[in-house]
Amino acid sequence: MANHPLKKPKSDGESAQSTQSLLSKAIQPEYQWTDKDEFLDVVYWMRQIMGLILGLVWGFIPLKGFIGLALFFLVNVAIVYLYYSTFQKIDEEEYGGASEILKEGLMTSFSSFLVAWIILYSALHS
Amino acid sequence: MLSDCILIVCISICTALLGEGLTWLMVYRTDKYKKLKAEVEKQSKKLEKQRETESNDRTQKKKLERQEEKLKNNSRDLSLVKMKSMFAIGFAFTALLSMFNSIFDGRVVANLPFTPISFIQGISHRNLPGEDYTHCSFIFLYILCTMSIRQNIQKILGLAPSRAASKQGTGFFTPPSQLGR
Repeated sequence: MANHPLKKPKSDGESAQSTQSLLSKAIQPEYQWTDKDEFLDVVYWMRQIMGLILGLVWGFIPLKGFIGLALFFLVNVAIVYLYYSTFQKIDEEEYGGASEILKEGLMTSFSSFLVAWIILYSALHS
Repeated sequence: MLSDCILIVCISICTALLGEGLTWLMVYRTDKYKKLKAEVEKQSKKLEKQRETESNDRTQKKKLERQEEKLKNNSRDLSLVKMKSMFAIGFAFTALLSMFNSIFDGRVVANLPFTPISFIQGISHRNLPGEDYTHCSFIFLYILCTMSIRQNIQKILGLAPSRAASKQGTGFFTPPSQLGR
């Protein structure tokens, strides 16, 4: 155990700094990711923000029915795919295949999307 | 209608925070949990690395199997430590949920922009009068809110299980056939 000490909890300053550095890595094209988890975190948070924004847009337009749900999955998966394959140029095999990256945080993003869509839709259009 | 929705979002934020707070109090801050978690994470990462450089050497394979066994035991212990508090919190939240359920009983809290498929209608139209299936009940919106908010709170606070550990699939509820791979 002595060689592997427990991780120290991050202080507020440290975590703010790490968020900033993660953001700068995320917007840098073809960044060499040394930590796989960091890249997956970027995909996760990107998805959450995208879910919320898409939900608000769908509610505002308003999009209705099955087409709204299908379009969400299409746009969400397509953006993540384009991000990792053309912007970051990641080798998906390193992460255990394309599905591992594409499904990272998808369900959570879907539920955030639904909440935003339902709330804005019923506030504006009913 | 909007005020109901906002209230539900607030309720789910509060319950998620309360749940995580209670789990922290009972589980996350204990030394036993910290030690086990660090151990499981370390072993999962090590195992993943070793699997990548797979060799046909028999002694190597045996070593790998022994490590897998150790990891399996450790993650089982980890799940057991978590389980007690999960049960306690589960009971508390069931009581809380039934209270909210009676407050919002028969009330349409939102209009859905889509008609849910039949087996979800049971939840989304729970205790609501009429046949309009785009009406949304409290419980449906609450479940959706909790699904998104709880996971994100865990992630922000750094309490979500690590990817390496969950990828190994050695949790308490993993069927044995999967473990034997």
